[in-house]
Amino acid sequence: MTTVTAPVADVQPAPGSATVEFRSLRRSFGATTALDGLNLTVHPGELLALLGPSGCGKTTALRILAGFEQHDSGQVLVDGEDITRIPAHRRDAGMVFQSYSLFPHLTAADNVAFGLRMRGAGKAERRKRAKELLELVGLPQHADRYPHQMSGGQQQRIALARALALQPRVLLLDEPLSALDAKVRLNLREEIRRLQQELAITTLFVTHDQEEALSMADRVAVLRAGRLEQCATPSELYARPATAFVAEFVGTMSRIPAVRAGDGVEVLGRRHPVDGTVPADGQLDVLVRPENVTLVPALHGRAQVVGASFLGAVTRLTVRLADGTEVKADLATELAAGLPVGSTADIALPDRPVLVDRRAS
Amino acid sequence: MTTAPTPVPTPAATEKLSGGHGVSGTATPAPGSHAKRRAPRGGSWLATLPLFVFFAIAFGLPAVAIAIGAFTVSNDAETGAGTFTTANLSDSVSGAYWTALVSSVKLSAITALIGTLVGLPIAQAVVTSRFRMLREAVLTASGVLANFGGLPLAFAFVATLGNAGELTKLFHLTDHGWTLYSFTGLTVAYLYFLIPLMVLTITPALDGLRVQWREAAQNNRATSLQYWRHVALPILLPSLLGGFVLLFGSAFAAYATAAAMVGATVPLISRQIADALSGNVLVGQGNLALALSLDMIIVAVLVMAVYLPLQRRSARWLS
Amino acid sequence: MAQLTSRSPLARFQPGRALVLLVAALYFLVPMGASIWFSISDNNGIGFQAYTGLLGAEGFTDSLWLTLKLALATVLVLLLLLVPAMIAARLGSPRLRTALEILCTLPLVVPPVALTAGMIGVLRWGPDYLMDTPFFQTFVFIQQPEFPIVLVLAYVLMALPLAYRALDAGLRSVDVRTLVEAARNCGASWPRSVFTVILPNLRGALLNAGFLTLALVLGEFTAASILGYQPFPVWIYAVGNSQGQMSVAVSVLSLLITWVLLLLLAAAGRERRHKPAHS
Repeated sequence: MTTVTAPVADVQPAPGSATVEFRSLRRSFGATTALDGLNLTVHPGELLALLGPSGCGKTTALRILAGFEQHDSGQVLVDGEDITRIPAHRRDAGMVFQSYSLFPHLTAADNVAFGLRMRGAGKAERRKRAKELLELVGLPQHADRYPHQMSGGQQQRIALARALALQPRVLLLDEPLSALDAKVRLNLREEIRRLQQELAITTLFVTHDQEEALSMADRVAVLRAGRLEQCATPSELYARPATAFVAEFVGTMSRIPAVRAGDGVEVLGRRHPVDGTVPADGQLDVLVRPENVTLVPALHGRAQVVGASFLGAVTRLTVRLADGTEVKADLATELAAGLPVGSTADIALPDRPVLVDRRAS
Repeated sequence: MTTAPTPVPTPAATEKLSGGHGVSGTATPAPGSHAKRRAPRGGSWLATLPLFVFFAIAFGLPAVAIAIGAFTVSNDAETGAGTFTTANLSDSVSGAYWTALVSSVKLSAITALIGTLVGLPIAQAVVTSRFRMLREAVLTASGVLANFGGLPLAFAFVATLGNAGELTKLFHLTDHGWTLYSFTGLTVAYLYFLIPLMVLTITPALDGLRVQWREAAQNNRATSLQYWRHVALPILLPSLLGGFVLLFGSAFAAYATAAAMVGATVPLISRQIADALSGNVLVGQGNLALALSLDMIIVAVLVMAVYLPLQRRSARWLS
Repeated sequence: MAQLTSRSPLARFQPGRALVLLVAALYFLVPMGASIWFSISDNNGIGFQAYTGLLGAEGFTDSLWLTLKLALATVLVLLLLLVPAMIAARLGSPRLRTALEILCTLPLVVPPVALTAGMIGVLRWGPDYLMDTPFFQTFVFIQQPEFPIVLVLAYVLMALPLAYRALDAGLRSVDVRTLVEAARNCGASWPRSVFTVILPNLRGALLNAGFLTLALVLGEFTAASILGYQPFPVWIYAVGNSQGQMSVAVSVLSLLITWVLLLLLAAAGRERRHKPAHS
């Protein structure tokens, strides 16, 4: 999994990027359970995204690793060593916070060199190292600026440089982009990924933005209510979600009512084999992604177009079936022009195994 | 009334300050965005007019009176009433008056220093406490003591540590040379309203210390001590200095506490002015009180000149 | 969730913090306790004459009544002057806001004693220069002992920085401009949008400002005593010379009552803020 590329000049790759393991990790705050037996392994040098809705425990896992929280039971291992008893200020993990974590009374350079100062490094060394790191994050000319003189994106770059200053074995990113504008977010996303690959540093990236997770991470771990739902590469996660929760959380999914037919299901008048297992009882839905739905204009088709949103090369149409079910379908924009709102079409699914789930309520 | 007023942080304000991340100072509209709004600009001046007029009369006239009076010969003088003189001012900074001014400054500086040093840990203890009720009880009590305190406090101290006070009797303090009616006694009493004032002043700043700063410091290998030494105290420094200055001003302006407690054993400038105004002063020196007031105002202006820039900087860091 | 997780390390029991709180509590509660003891103990045991005798004491009701009238007038005048000005400044130009802020900070540089001295200086102009003009009548009018308007002027000035900061804190949490524009967009007139939209949102700040002003007036001694009037604090002082126990009793009572009222105010504010979260 290690994607070691040539390190940039002057900055050493993190010394022996570490393996991180969470074992049966539990943590609750009063009545709420943040982590409910989390098992997860992060390989050396990979960027693993912890993805999930808010309250799923992803931030808690990160903070336990950084030493800001204690777990109730279970283990956290870094390179096989249990780090529970190591206080936060001696853990070998650099962290970038959501926002506002730069020390307001220090310049960018002093912020970056803060950890070196705590370790008693001399002034010359601190200045040299701060310069290197500021160059690494592309802000060498901002060395003497104070946080309030910089934009949000710049502040997060400085925070990244500060987290890397002590050459930690693990890099922790706690929703570092969530407070930024869309455009800045995209740039910084690529920048973080580039740096991470250059340094080949084991990285945990907490986010609730599935697009961010899919585009940046080597692997994505989807968490729900303190448990791991699935941990896989982005393409696998998208194409073969292990559970309905993952399927609907990652990307867009429509639900179409289906009925049992042998060991498969019948949906939209056709039989499909099932991917995975069929729930034992209850009514069923088939889950389908917009790009897998085919629409063909037809005068009395069973799907009526009720909405359209232009996404560039494709247009996402919303169609309504006779039973009221709404299904989303992506069409090449020039084809979608033939299906204005109000027109009808025939609808079909690809001839492949489909994902099914028990119908909600 | 003795102290420079400090509001108890409103529940809403406290909420905002302790809201932690996500709360930035973006509530204020960007300057310049007002240009094309439909707010009637003439109307907004009109709405402020009554306040400005009131201020001109109630504040402006006395200010003028002080400015003129301090530099003219008193009307009750035998000759030269109303003519220009600097005698009032030079009298006001010599002899007994100078002693009083120095003693006022000394008392204010010492009490402000102690108040600052003691107020900080108390405020920190209250801010980090689990109990919301404790926080509210302490902050409102501080509001009462700091703003309302003066005279009632003096009587409480007389009852506690005065010559017939309960503690004095209980521990026979008089035998050990204790007297409330001294410089030390005044210091103890002043602290009773200055420490709460410091708690009130520094609490928003402590609330403004972000948890992320502590964590980022730990993450960068700082121990708890190093965090305080290199992060928290430097960030708090403007607020602490500002608080000190505010306490100084408050102690300097205080009158009621001293008036009710000490008689004339510790000379203070606020008491000298009151005496001069009450006519306990030589004929022909009526304007001396105004000159003394001018001295006081000058000291207070210096105090504010130090305080306001500090306040601004800390607001920028902690918003 | 962030709030939940970030507070927990602070919430652990710390002996240092407990010690600080304990010492502070002793320093502040012992004089209160001693004062109460002082006010109820006499040579032959415990007695509550200091409290029971209050109502009958000479000047008690008069001075209390005067103080309450002064407090009410001060709060009204202050809010009527300050609230429109501050809302207008939020809606108007930033320059106006700066001007207002400076104006409301200025009273801090003139200690109450000096302000009183200045006012006496002005009042002396009356007999000196204005004897034959209508202004003289005005000067007499504002100094009448039944209701010294001059004290209201002084108190409004003293409370100005206090009230300004309380109101400003409230206004900060309300986007006045957007609210007014939204109300106007819905068809409300200017005054209507201020009354129906802004003021309700400022209720907490208004109460806070009003109450702190009230507390200030209830305790103000300097101006009143130098100008020679006898509102409540001056009465306490006067009583202190002859009846020590009673003055201490009144002092403690007034401190406690003010504190409890402030505490209730804070609780009321909290209640109101939490209601929407539950519904």
